[in-house]
Amino acid sequence: MSESIVTSQTQQAAPQAAKPAKPVAKPAWEKPKLEDVSEQVMAQPYIRFT
Amino acid sequence: MTLSIDRFGAPLFVSWQLTRDCDLACLHCCTESAPGKRLRDELDEGEALRVAADIVDSGVPYVMLCGGEPTLVPHFFAVAEALGNAGVNLKVETNGQRFEAAAAKRLARLPIRSIQVSLDGDTQAVYERQRPGASLAKAHAACRAVRDAGLPLEITFAPTRLNLHEAAAVIERARALGAFRFNSGRLMRLGTAARLWHKLAPSDAQYREYREVLARAGDVLEPPMELCYVPWSIEDGLRAALSDPPATLLVLPNGWVKVAAPLPEFCADLRRTTLAGAWQSYREAWRNDATRSAVKRAIDDESCHAEANTWRMTPVAHV
Repeated sequence: MSESIVTSQTQQAAPQAAKPAKPVAKPAWEKPKLEDVSEQVMAQPYIRFT
Repeated sequence: MTLSIDRFGAPLFVSWQLTRDCDLACLHCCTESAPGKRLRDELDEGEALRVAADIVDSGVPYVMLCGGEPTLVPHFFAVAEALGNAGVNLKVETNGQRFEAAAAKRLARLPIRSIQVSLDGDTQAVYERQRPGASLAKAHAACRAVRDAGLPLEITFAPTRLNLHEAAAVIERARALGAFRFNSGRLMRLGTAARLWHKLAPSDAQYREYREVLARAGDVLEPPMELCYVPWSIEDGLRAALSDPPATLLVLPNGWVKVAAPLPEFCADLRRTTLAGAWQSYREAWRNDATRSAVKRAIDDESCHAEANTWRMTPVAHV
């Protein structure tokens, strides 16, 4: 059952008691830093990306 | 599947090929760059500066400007300064044929992490055989200009059966020039090198001998210089990327974004989407079955790399 159908049924049963929508979960992304480059960036033969 | 690229809201590193134009036509060139090979649809100055601003706004910490020969591009300094003056660390790859003191001094005002000069021989005869028409003296002068300006110098050596016998001499030359790093690895079967593979590719015995040269050079402690040759081959690099894709975007001269240098697939067009869109598309591409199958094919059969410069769109492309 999809989330949208659940929401629809809940609204029909108790429209006055609808809960506030939960905020959409955002991925916990990190800001890239130069210190991360050495371990996270691949190189090619004779082309170093670090 | 959780990939480490999902840690970051933007790439750690952008490798930006500004042009296919070059003042040399090297036999081993992985991008098939040469005089007159500028693409008709390369980003113009306005478009390139818009991409640079997007890179800055996205928080990318590190960008490599390469080509072709990037210093041939009329807006090379405008792009470098737009990035560098905003705090983005830079690496510049050059063949050193026109990289003189004035260029080095101008770049020295920016946060330069490395100027990489290719030295594919230690005598003019060998160097010129692999880089027809090139001057080894100019390349050496470029290295000295880099160091005189106080910039970090990195040397790269692409091994072929034409130049391997001079590898040890090039390593020592790199030390003498004050390089902080010497880069090498197995010859990449890409571009012009793929077309000339049977003329260029060293034998297994030559590679074994070369590994011994590199190991011996690693025992030399003074002056200090890092010797880098891992990943040794494209296949080693792709194998590692399959389990942990690099947080790297490779931008082609026309603004297309490649999934990986040895693959023909591109996943975004920076004329039509933002860097954030390209980053999303890149991460999706590494989860895509077709992309992963293409990577596995390239690992199993290095002759596949010959198609790397015949670009085609991935199914998840943001264009």
